[in-house]
Amino acid sequence: MPDTHFYHYDDFDRTLVAERVEQFRDQVRRRLAGELTEEQFKPLRLTNGLYLQLHAYMLRIAIPYGTLSTRQLRQLAAIARKYDKGYGHFTTRQNLQLNWIKLEDAPDAVAMLAEVDMHSIQTSGNVVRNTTADHFAGAAADEIEDPRVWCEIVRQWSTLHPEFSFLPRKFKIAITGSPNDRAAVRIHDVGLRLWRNPQGETGFEVIVGGGLGRTPMIGKTVREFLPKDEMLAYLEAVLRVYNRYGRRDNLFKARIKILVHEIGIEKMREEVEAEYAASKDGALKLDPQTIEAIARQFAPPPLPHRPAIAGEVERLKLEEPDFALWLKSNTAPHKMAGYRVVTASLKPAGAPPGDASSVQMEGVADVADAYSQSEVRVSHEQNLVLPHVAVEDLPAVYRALGRLGFAEANVGKITDIIACPGLDYCALANARSIPVAQRISNHFANLAQQHDIGDLKIKISGCINACGHHHVGHIGILGVDKNGVELYQISLGGDVDFGRTALGDIIGPAVGADRIVEAVDALVRTYLDRRDAGERFVDTYRRLGVEPFKESVYAAV
Amino acid sequence: MAKNLSGDLTVASANRLADGAVVFLDDKGCWTRHLESAALARDKQGAEILLARAKAESFPVVDPFLVAVTEDGQGALEPVSLREKIRVSGLTFAAIAAEAVRYA
Amino acid sequence: MPLYREGSLQPVADTGPAPLPLADWLKAPTQAVALANTDQPDELSTHLGRLKLIVLAFPKFTDGRAYSQARLLRGRLGYRGELRATGAVLRDQLPFLLRCGFDSFDSDQAGFGVALARARTLFSVVYQGAADNRATVALLRLRRHHQPATLAAD
Repeated sequence: MPDTHFYHYDDFDRTLVAERVEQFRDQVRRRLAGELTEEQFKPLRLTNGLYLQLHAYMLRIAIPYGTLSTRQLRQLAAIARKYDKGYGHFTTRQNLQLNWIKLEDAPDAVAMLAEVDMHSIQTSGNVVRNTTADHFAGAAADEIEDPRVWCEIVRQWSTLHPEFSFLPRKFKIAITGSPNDRAAVRIHDVGLRLWRNPQGETGFEVIVGGGLGRTPMIGKTVREFLPKDEMLAYLEAVLRVYNRYGRRDNLFKARIKILVHEIGIEKMREEVEAEYAASKDGALKLDPQTIEAIARQFAPPPLPHRPAIAGEVERLKLEEPDFALWLKSNTAPHKMAGYRVVTASLKPAGAPPGDASSVQMEGVADVADAYSQSEVRVSHEQNLVLPHVAVEDLPAVYRALGRLGFAEANVGKITDIIACPGLDYCALANARSIPVAQRISNHFANLAQQHDIGDLKIKISGCINACGHHHVGHIGILGVDKNGVELYQISLGGDVDFGRTALGDIIGPAVGADRIVEAVDALVRTYLDRRDAGERFVDTYRRLGVEPFKESVYAAV
Repeated sequence: MAKNLSGDLTVASANRLADGAVVFLDDKGCWTRHLESAALARDKQGAEILLARAKAESFPVVDPFLVAVTEDGQGALEPVSLREKIRVSGLTFAAIAAEAVRYA
Repeated sequence: MPLYREGSLQPVADTGPAPLPLADWLKAPTQAVALANTDQPDELSTHLGRLKLIVLAFPKFTDGRAYSQARLLRGRLGYRGELRATGAVLRDQLPFLLRCGFDSFDSDQAGFGVALARARTLFSVVYQGAADNRATVALLRLRRHHQPATLAAD
């Protein structure tokens, strides 16, 4: 196994995944032979990541804590080529979705995943799902501790957990190791935030009951400080309370956020703490050696010293304005001077956001092999990240990504749109989201203009399930269906950044598909006309309130 | 089921179990990928019979259901709802071409 | 409904005492009780020693509340008698049911007996501790770390 700088499977992990593949293979065989009804089979296929969408089955592949080796990324490309239409979609939960899978091929596809220590286990179904982390983990300058260690511990604990495989509903956990929460922990069923207390100890703030969808809620703190080695005991307590008391009478009221809302956070805390107290210091307490053996594998790669300033970079900044913009928007500070964290934007102008072809995946793998320690990350904004790029190598990386169309200088900008697959793919959707994203992206393609507009996060969901996270977009767009016509409801002021979580305010009646670009344009114009120096779109919105924005949108549509 | 503007024309549709493909029940009780070959019910009663037949033939498919369609002068069928139009004719945008190095 | 226990591929005869629903059992505790999946296992604690059979319910196979009841009964309450799953009990849930401490099953699904015979060996590694007391991967790793020469990979 090549030297990865994150957890790599031992024979135990491999055995489990291989045995799971064989179990699934047999279940598929029985389903195709008619020995299982669809009702009996559906939870089994969902907990192996296989959805039935409009046109075909979709396989959702887990990318734990959004971290991939280049070997793994190349295998994803190969699977997409062999069993799909040669492309995939990187999701808001750091997974990869392949949209054209056949049920009869699914066991072979997951067997190919197992070859590179990957799987699709529990990426769907009423189980604990892929635990997501900060996509800059292990590299970001503001990190207290690498959260991926804890994601891996949660991954193992939650995989085929015998007690929690039939929860009331799905369960999503996110972990951040930085005060700047890039993992959106407050909109997850459980969020864990690593922090250092005044005594200098590092522990978890445990947040419970966040989530988007029909009833968006921001999670509440159930425990301010939890010693790290108690994490599993505490999680087990939360899950047991949820499994026992979460609602099962109504699909739309079955998440833990509803339970917290209905009984209140004090009662929730009481139940969890009582359950936790009964099992504390027991079998679930993490042995320091267990933690250490996993943490050691996430030790950062030994990066050779490279200069913090590179002549070629400085020269290119002056010669190519787009490169200068790209440095600003698509690269971020690294723990180590002489390095930057590079985001490959999967939002080229006019392209379906977050998609990559097999050739592009292999291209990114090539760049990562040459310039990023053979490691790639998936952000929950549907982009890819090269976590360890030397400053001196930035021009070469810029060119190489540019050949793939992945060097658009738009990360965090208006065309860095997050969109769910929407009605083009998804059986749950009311409206399409990808064509809307494409039109907005084309309209604002000018890079200089985008940088002038500054940080602006547009998030588009094709239905109330909110897989596009529209509630937390600076501009949120929700597709609705009224008498067979696609309409789009606009909300403003949502946020998940800088430790701040806010849900957007709906501005008024939904807007037709043919006017949505005009609406967004009106919002941007209002911002540009009224902003104070240094204000982002969302700051101006907060200062002025909804009226000026509402006025200009409805005048324009 | 979406309102059918030109009467109660319906076909029965499902996704094929083995590969998820969109299919329609034809007059022989087999599942075809071609909408033009679909058995057409012209009224409510016919639709009920069609659905019952689809469910009876549902071994190779998942969860059959009725789709409202319109018929033009030449007898060509088209689904009424956007969702079903997309199911029949595929993505409404160009996905990246196989082996493409960049989008467009 | 056929009754299955490990050790027999065919259904076995149900010769034990008929379980009482909890409310009735609390008034007159016998050897067998049946809990609804909303009942509190704690309520059995004072007369737990009397019990030879506890029946837990799966109204739908997707309703997983009885798994937690089973864990509490086997774990915290230390119940060692027969623990039976009834309701919608299907083969593919057997690995989970066994790990949570169930040892008999009411099921009319074809092939259930054969599936039961194989269910413990479907997965040779487990990450979590459970009622079956199998060594977890974490534990095996610690042992291997301390005695690398003596422990072969399981």
